[in-house]
Amino acid sequence: MMNLIEVAEFAVRESERFSVDEAEGFVQKQRVVEIVLERGEIQSERTKTRQGIGVRVIRNKKLGFAFASSLNRHVVQKACRDAFKLAKVSPENPDWVSLPLPKKVTSVPEGLYDEALANLSPKEILEMAIEGYEAVKKTDPRVSIDDGKLSAFLTEVAISNSHGISLQDRGTAISFFLVCIAKEGGETSSFAYEYDVSRTLRGFSAERVGEIAAKKALASLGAKSVESFKGEVLFSPDVAAEVFFGPVVSSVNADNVQRGRSLWADKIGENVSDPKLTVIDDGLLPYGLGSSPFDAEGVPSQRTLLINNGVLQGFLYDSYTANKANTESTGNAIRSSYSSLPSISISNLLVEPGTKSLDELILEVDEGIIINRFSGSVAAESGEFSGVAKQASYIKNGEVKFPLKETMISGNAFDSLKNIVEIGKERRATMMNVYTPPILVRDVNIISK
Amino acid sequence: MIELLENSVSRFKEGYVEMRGHSRRVFSIVVKDGEVERITQGLNRGVCARILIDGSWGFSSTTIINRESLLELMKDAESLAKSSKPVKRRFVKIAPVEPYEDYYETPMKRDPRKEDLEFLIEDVLEADKEVHSYSKNVASSSISISVVDDDLCFVSSEGAKIMQRIVRCFGGASVIAKSQGKIASAHESIGAQMGLEVFEETPIRDAVLEAAKRAVRIVPKRVVPGGYYNVVLENKIVGLLAHEAVGHTAEADLVYGGSFLSNKVGQKIASDMITLVDDGLLPRGFGTMKYDDEGTPTERTVIIEKGVVKRFMHSRETAIQFGVAPTGNARAWSFEYDPIIRMRNTYIESGDQTVEELIEDVKEGYFLRGGGGGQADFNGEFMFTIQEAVKIENGELKESYRGASISGNAFDVLKRVTGVGKDFAMRVGICGKEQPSYVGIGGPSLKTELLVGGGYR
Repeated sequence: MMNLIEVAEFAVRESERFSVDEAEGFVQKQRVVEIVLERGEIQSERTKTRQGIGVRVIRNKKLGFAFASSLNRHVVQKACRDAFKLAKVSPENPDWVSLPLPKKVTSVPEGLYDEALANLSPKEILEMAIEGYEAVKKTDPRVSIDDGKLSAFLTEVAISNSHGISLQDRGTAISFFLVCIAKEGGETSSFAYEYDVSRTLRGFSAERVGEIAAKKALASLGAKSVESFKGEVLFSPDVAAEVFFGPVVSSVNADNVQRGRSLWADKIGENVSDPKLTVIDDGLLPYGLGSSPFDAEGVPSQRTLLINNGVLQGFLYDSYTANKANTESTGNAIRSSYSSLPSISISNLLVEPGTKSLDELILEVDEGIIINRFSGSVAAESGEFSGVAKQASYIKNGEVKFPLKETMISGNAFDSLKNIVEIGKERRATMMNVYTPPILVRDVNIISK
Repeated sequence: MIELLENSVSRFKEGYVEMRGHSRRVFSIVVKDGEVERITQGLNRGVCARILIDGSWGFSSTTIINRESLLELMKDAESLAKSSKPVKRRFVKIAPVEPYEDYYETPMKRDPRKEDLEFLIEDVLEADKEVHSYSKNVASSSISISVVDDDLCFVSSEGAKIMQRIVRCFGGASVIAKSQGKIASAHESIGAQMGLEVFEETPIRDAVLEAAKRAVRIVPKRVVPGGYYNVVLENKIVGLLAHEAVGHTAEADLVYGGSFLSNKVGQKIASDMITLVDDGLLPRGFGTMKYDDEGTPTERTVIIEKGVVKRFMHSRETAIQFGVAPTGNARAWSFEYDPIIRMRNTYIESGDQTVEELIEDVKEGYFLRGGGGGQADFNGEFMFTIQEAVKIENGELKESYRGASISGNAFDVLKRVTGVGKDFAMRVGICGKEQPSYVGIGGPSLKTELLVGGGYR
């Protein structure tokens, strides 16, 4: 049995036996344990073992890709043959230059692999989920769990290409989320969401998730509605990540820029937001959720300044879009699994924190709302967002008055970025790999029945 | 593969065990702006074991398939079942189901396994060319086509031995229009559970052009003003309402958890114009299967009949809890997931009015068009995205607006239905409930009232 890097190298050699110009093998092996909570009960526990290979070949600027869920020699050989067959029938892409050339991987961020986490038994992981579950019940009997999931991952990757890239890496991650609901005298709260996510066991606490989720659910009991108005909205880190940084991530994606899908395509050096906003993509962040020594094509990870004091500085590239723009890849190729080709994404998107605490931000609001969960849609390209403000409360004269129901918000993320009143100081790692503090924005439509 | 599974199952002596083997062949093409972004061919194959010992489930899956790895798999599942037992509140029992031995295959005229799929590349490239020549305001398009060909086998310690081959062909198009610094997008999809003939019957180019027309039409427009309105919901949106906002509340696991429909069997909760069905046998339905992933035969389950709640959707586990027969709704996305209660093809039945007739009766309101995604909580509160809102004044269609999200309580919206169209249409969907699932969603256009979360008036 070959190890992962041997399989990746084998795939490159096998592909090269056909008359291809370039080949790449990406091998992934994963062990996942999941504990699923549903309706206040442990619904299922699973262990998953998965492995597979994705083979990318290029012949006369024509691309072919095939994958398989086995690392058996014959299966890998068949994947190479399939990829070659597809490359033959694929139309030529005149923009194709080359797969990445090897570059020295100089820094390996710390905190991406945790031996203790890798060695947890399914039973121990189950016990952690129970801690979260018990914490909800202990916090308040009016609260119940709607659903939740604890997942622990051990992932190993290996990547090799015709130009001599040959790299391997391993990492761990653990995540837990809960959705809770509180009931009192026939009234049901809105669904409260809380989570923790980490590369290591350091600081990870399922118990804390349970406590906070329960408290959030309780806080939304007694909801009222208000008349429609235009006002200030204080976005929690999760909502800010989804509503504002979804469109930002889409607009700095070089592929979108090159395809006319980004409103920021010709805005480098221009103001795209309030000067209080500075945003960096950092693939080398220690303990970072999206950190890795190299990306999914074997290009070393780096820090890329995207917005500096409101001025757009740059875009995120993989090797294809970088070649097309005659620049260098920023190491932002990602693959969700061996079965997908690389595409551009953020590693860790870091929003520079401001100086004010959440309480100080609330004090600044004359009339507005604070929103902790958003159930709606965000058009990444146009920035238009609209949806229901869940886990939201009404603020008047610097004071949180009451929780809201049947309230929607709508606006445009790109306008809102220019209407930032304050950025808070408490930055949080969200499930989207966006690290952001809460953000206070003026002039958002708040709509009610 | 089936012999290997039978062999492993037969070695297990304690409790109930089922094993599923699943091979998924995927062929997909993505074309963006004249370039083939990807052509992919692949095979994912794996096996799982689910074991019920002493009222507790354990589950394990692997892509490594040989005698030894399957023994390890059983051990893993067994140890999870035993170690989770003390923390489980409920002692699981499962309703009896006859152990079938059967083979089922998606009825199709053009079997993708018997054809070279390369011709699809031409189809997509041509559609791409056409969309870019449609208008100078078309800035970008993305078109995809997929053929997903599943071989499923199910073996249980009760003696079931079922093989099914399910073929799904589908595609999607998203078009971005740009004009005077403004940008707007529109999406359309095609597909069904059938062979390659689906691409002849509903060509991808028609879907792309429809999306292009809409994107170009709405790019100069303002977002629809927010407010509570009389609306006509286009059929494409109604399927989402049937599935997402109503259907989920009739899944027995959610009913058990206290969803809107719990304790409401026999009660009138919608206009008597509304009959809502979850159908596992609908020809061409994206969610159609002869047997579910617990080996239970599927059926046509009437959930709401003329506004009255009739039945819920069940797995073997919830059926015995509720004292009813299982409905064949236990489905798993892949070998990496245990089966849970999922919808199959969920729709509201047709009425007898044309869309023009529905609009005619509206004095002031909007015709909401173009399905998007959506979310709902199990109390019936929903939020959906619509692509376009066309103003209705005195029964006539006026100017178009960009879409926004719509929201409300589904049962409130269904109570207020005053007209049901006859323009029944099914769409393909992928539903997420911890794991994804291919589902069919459908219905006719409806006249009702709801909250539109658009711009400030």
